[in-house]
Amino acid sequence: MTKKFFTVDTDIHPGPDPKRIMDFLPQPWRTRYASGNRGPGHLGYWNPNGYMRSDTVLPDGTKIEENPAALAKHFFDDYGIDYGILNPEYSLAILLSPEAEFAASVASAINDVFVQDWLPVDPRFRASIMVAMADPQLAAREIHRLGDHPGIAQILMPSASPMPLGNRYFHPIYAAAVEHDLPVAIHPGLEGVGTSGAPTSAGYPSNYFEWHTGLVTSYIAQLVSLVTEGVFARFPTLKFIMIEGGISWLPAVMWRFDKNWKALRSTTPWLDRPPSQIIQDHVLLTTQPLEEPENPDHFKAIVEMFDAGRMIMFSSDFPHWDGDTPDFAARAFPKAIQARVMGETAREIYKLPEAVYA
Amino acid sequence: MPEKRYAVAQVDELALGQRKIIDVGGKSVGLFNVNGEFVAVLNYCPHEGAPVCQGRVSGTTLPSAPNEFKWGRQGEILLCPWHGWEFDLTTGECLTDRRKLRRYQVDIENGTLYLVLNDAARATSARE
Repeated sequence: MTKKFFTVDTDIHPGPDPKRIMDFLPQPWRTRYASGNRGPGHLGYWNPNGYMRSDTVLPDGTKIEENPAALAKHFFDDYGIDYGILNPEYSLAILLSPEAEFAASVASAINDVFVQDWLPVDPRFRASIMVAMADPQLAAREIHRLGDHPGIAQILMPSASPMPLGNRYFHPIYAAAVEHDLPVAIHPGLEGVGTSGAPTSAGYPSNYFEWHTGLVTSYIAQLVSLVTEGVFARFPTLKFIMIEGGISWLPAVMWRFDKNWKALRSTTPWLDRPPSQIIQDHVLLTTQPLEEPENPDHFKAIVEMFDAGRMIMFSSDFPHWDGDTPDFAARAFPKAIQARVMGETAREIYKLPEAVYA
Repeated sequence: MPEKRYAVAQVDELALGQRKIIDVGGKSVGLFNVNGEFVAVLNYCPHEGAPVCQGRVSGTTLPSAPNEFKWGRQGEILLCPWHGWEFDLTTGECLTDRRKLRRYQVDIENGTLYLVLNDAARATSARE
């Protein structure tokens, strides 16, 4: 494969070994986890093709995403990934458990598995600190515990939440993140699960297709909340990364947002400039799943409507069913910003050194 | 380019519904027994380049009225292992996109299956 760009993959899903998670769990949570309890589970929507790619099993039975060395060799090497952010598979649902201590303990144990077992395997790996939503003070404590580890790239939360993420309830998480100079990222998939609200603002969809297409609505609601509640006025150095939530909706929402601000600014006097400017200074989006209009130029036209060269970062979502390869993603963007989308913006956001070749 | 013909399998190697993925002439090609018809397609999804021939072969839901589900076409539909696009193995067409699988001609002689490369325009499957 010819490699054209310094490439940072901002969303990879390695699967931690439950036995190792148990090694890091204190009692009584270890006994409970060993019995099979994983928190709130899921809604039961069905993807006929499975939500994991079916071609990631090596001849010896190893799943590429469940083994650090295999992930390095068969994903990072094969696709020319210079750095990749590891966002744990099989793990997000616990973050929406109503049981604060259990959820925080499991999140900590999973974080420990990545710090102990994965980061040392390859210098291209970077990990996220997962934090649970039931008690933001416990989440902040976890950020302080691991936040200065050199392999930690960001804080990771679900895009589904018991109330919109701009709410002051969550501010201890953002305060801890900026104290360690770490971005906060959100990831979809748990809309409707655990302490989350309904999966869409209209209520409960009838199937996976409807649910998955509608995930974008929670991103719009979260973004509007973060800005109007003044999160970026309170935490001026905070970067907020919206993983896997789509791209094309952004300009339209920014236009509506700015128009309303002109009339309603007095209700949020801490917003000292149009919301679209605040968004472009603080918020980043990841590429996958790329929207694929019949005419690819239509997508290129949309990303020219905002500062996409500073705001969009490549992501593969490996090994999920709707992932994108680096070459496919690069081609979707105007040539002038391809290098920034594929890696340069992420290098700045995650403070990554120059490329290493393992 | 001239045609190149390769002996790739014996007819009795591929029972109904079975497949064989072959590296031949610098290409990876999937050979399928689709309800008794031998079909060869390039192991490359026209969407993002996935190894499409590793996908599940299935039936699918036929077009129907809202809230009705009718299953059919068992054994004729190949699902891409990455994005789940459904391809009709009997034509190479995708059920939801205009991009198609690249098909190759299959000949049968004396119980041997031959794959004919560089001949996409005349691609046909073979039935014994």
